[in-house]
Amino acid sequence: MLGALLWEGVSMRNRSSRVLAASLLLLATTAALAQSRKDPAMPKVGELAPDFTLKYSDGHDLKAVKLSDYRGKKNVVLAFYIFAFTGG
Amino acid sequence: MKNFQQNLKTLEAADTQVLGVSMDSWFSNKAFADQIGVTFPLLSDWGGKVTREYGVYKDEYQAPRRVNFLIGKDGKIMEEQVDDAAIDPTKIVDACARPKLKN
Repeated sequence: MLGALLWEGVSMRNRSSRVLAASLLLLATTAALAQSRKDPAMPKVGELAPDFTLKYSDGHDLKAVKLSDYRGKKNVVLAFYIFAFTGG
Repeated sequence: MKNFQQNLKTLEAADTQVLGVSMDSWFSNKAFADQIGVTFPLLSDWGGKVTREYGVYKDEYQAPRRVNFLIGKDGKIMEEQVDDAAIDPTKIVDACARPKLKN
């Protein structure tokens, strides 16, 4: 009787540790998936630049700029900078 | 940005439009442009969608890295400068001054 109770206890512990292991595995997989769902890499020289429309203020109005509007007309320097009011 | 402004005439003569991009609001970008005397558009990528599409978002800054892309008239990327190298635009200005860009 005592043996059966003990056995029950052990198997319960086993089961809970298995559940724990499974949840840990699930967590790890989720984390790995989140890690792999990263932003796209920088486009390389020779590749098409991704099109976009962004706005700026000329002091009166907000104006939209679409990259592909320059296609066939002008070269474009796209200068990403960290924050306004930083050097460079 | 100032460095591009200083070279703006050369770049414009080579049919080149300069566009600054950051994740600041259009309001701070306009104030920044006025303060440093930049006359080309400083675009607001509020939320960072375009910054991420170009692969230049840096978690550490929660903002873009400093990167310059020179995009040709065919829409393809011709030159890239990353981080410290992107502070000095000489390479891009030189590339623009090359005759092949003037077609």
